[in-house]
Amino acid sequence: MSVSGNGSGAAIEYRNVFKAFDVPVLSGVTLSVQPGEMFALFGPSGTGKSVLLKTTIALVTPDRGDVTVGGESVYFGGRDALDRIRRMVGFVFQYAALFDSLTVFENVEIGIPEASLNQMRANEVAHRVSESLELVNLDPSQVLRKLPSELSGGMKKRVGIARAIAGRPEILLWDEPTTGLDPVNTAAIERLITQLSDELRVTSLLVTHDIEGGLEMCDRVAMLEGGRLRFCGLPEDFRASKDPVVNAFTDRKAAIAALDTLEIS
Amino acid sequence: MSRQSSSVFAPSGFVGRFFVAVERWSSSVAEHAGQLGQLAWNIGVACVRLRVARRDIVRQLNIIGIQSIMIVLIAAALIGVVTSQQGGYQMQSQIPLYVMGSVVVESVVLEMGPVLTAIVIVGRVGARITAELGTMKVSEQVDALVSVGRDPVEVLAAPRVLAMIVSMPLLVAMANLTGITTGMLSAQLTLGLGQETFFYGARLFWHSYDLLYSLMKALVFGAAIPLIAVHMGLRTRGGAEGVGRSTTHAVVFMTLTILVIDAMFPPLFLN
Repeated sequence: MSVSGNGSGAAIEYRNVFKAFDVPVLSGVTLSVQPGEMFALFGPSGTGKSVLLKTTIALVTPDRGDVTVGGESVYFGGRDALDRIRRMVGFVFQYAALFDSLTVFENVEIGIPEASLNQMRANEVAHRVSESLELVNLDPSQVLRKLPSELSGGMKKRVGIARAIAGRPEILLWDEPTTGLDPVNTAAIERLITQLSDELRVTSLLVTHDIEGGLEMCDRVAMLEGGRLRFCGLPEDFRASKDPVVNAFTDRKAAIAALDTLEIS
Repeated sequence: MSRQSSSVFAPSGFVGRFFVAVERWSSSVAEHAGQLGQLAWNIGVACVRLRVARRDIVRQLNIIGIQSIMIVLIAAALIGVVTSQQGGYQMQSQIPLYVMGSVVVESVVLEMGPVLTAIVIVGRVGARITAELGTMKVSEQVDALVSVGRDPVEVLAAPRVLAMIVSMPLLVAMANLTGITTGMLSAQLTLGLGQETFFYGARLFWHSYDLLYSLMKALVFGAAIPLIAVHMGLRTRGGAEGVGRSTTHAVVFMTLTILVIDAMFPPLFLN
């Protein structure tokens, strides 16, 4: 079974990415995400999924390897290329990562690239912020002046998503967007991910522990285990996989069995 | 038995551990120095390229400068009283009382005003900056800033450093004035030293350069405190414990730096 997600003309391409923090986290990951694709990345906790996602816009620098976004190298393309890449990519953080001291308006406004912001009039900025909030099903009149501390967990996630899409990116990176949410909010956010990917026609790379949600939403999925790519393919192939580690993620009984037989903690 | 024998060989183990500790300490100091230098350079570049938003500087001027005035004035008032009281006790009929004017003014302007104001600012502002930026770091807010194409140095570091560089000399000037005033009043109430006599003594040993020296100290402290605070905040790792650790280290680091700079000032600028 080939676990290489390599491909040309990719929206995002990870080439032999290595990263260690005291212990190795990523050990030569090669993977590509095609334009317009919704791609889910699964794997046990601490296996490097979020680290891999963060290497896409140089929030974490790999020890070896390279990442290309839209054909441009993140690490060898220079400062201008990195700025262009960051303008192309919206990042949704696990716990929203809203700026505590800024209002919802200011939090979303900061997602608009500086170059665009300088060319926009105040009413255009306000319109873009309101539009972004409406896209994530929030009523701007209710939340614009609020501080993050006045919002519920689900609303914070939505504001975080609004910030990520405010710059109208071509690629969205989702770092466990449903973590810590109740099932209703989880379903709502998942519906939102699909809706946004369709409406904004973006490429989405989703890191999640919600296997069922990921398998339903995404065109392709991959699984990281021990810092290496364990699986890369279609959701139906993931479901049908005979690999015990992959099975442990789709079947609860297999997961319990895997606790005894495999080194999964 | 085994414990006894290990203690017999302890000196070589101790020497080894000592050198390992020195090596770790030196590399840590070099790492901090390098990162601080890089941070200072990046802040300088951001300022020269006018990449620092005026709105952010004004916000920090309010937090760092205006909101610190009360605590700085209270500390300065007490410094003036203590200097005056202690000076009076030590002089007791051996030295002419008018010398008190000089003791209070020179002590406050040259030493107490800038140093104790800096210590107060370390506790009130420096710790706040480290804890705030440390929390932003561990809660991925700094990453979020980078992800939207903003430079944390331009948005977070430079406004704080600039605001402190502007605020510190003003705060020290206010502290000097308050300390001298309360010192004079205290001398009047407890020693019966009149205002004219106090100022006569003060003028005898006064040099205009002393004020410049005081404000130069303030300026250097004003640059050192936020630089260290920002540096420690942005290198925070871990959760709440990491923020606590960074803040404690930052306060120790800032306090020691102020005392070292203070010790370097007289040989460099007074002789």
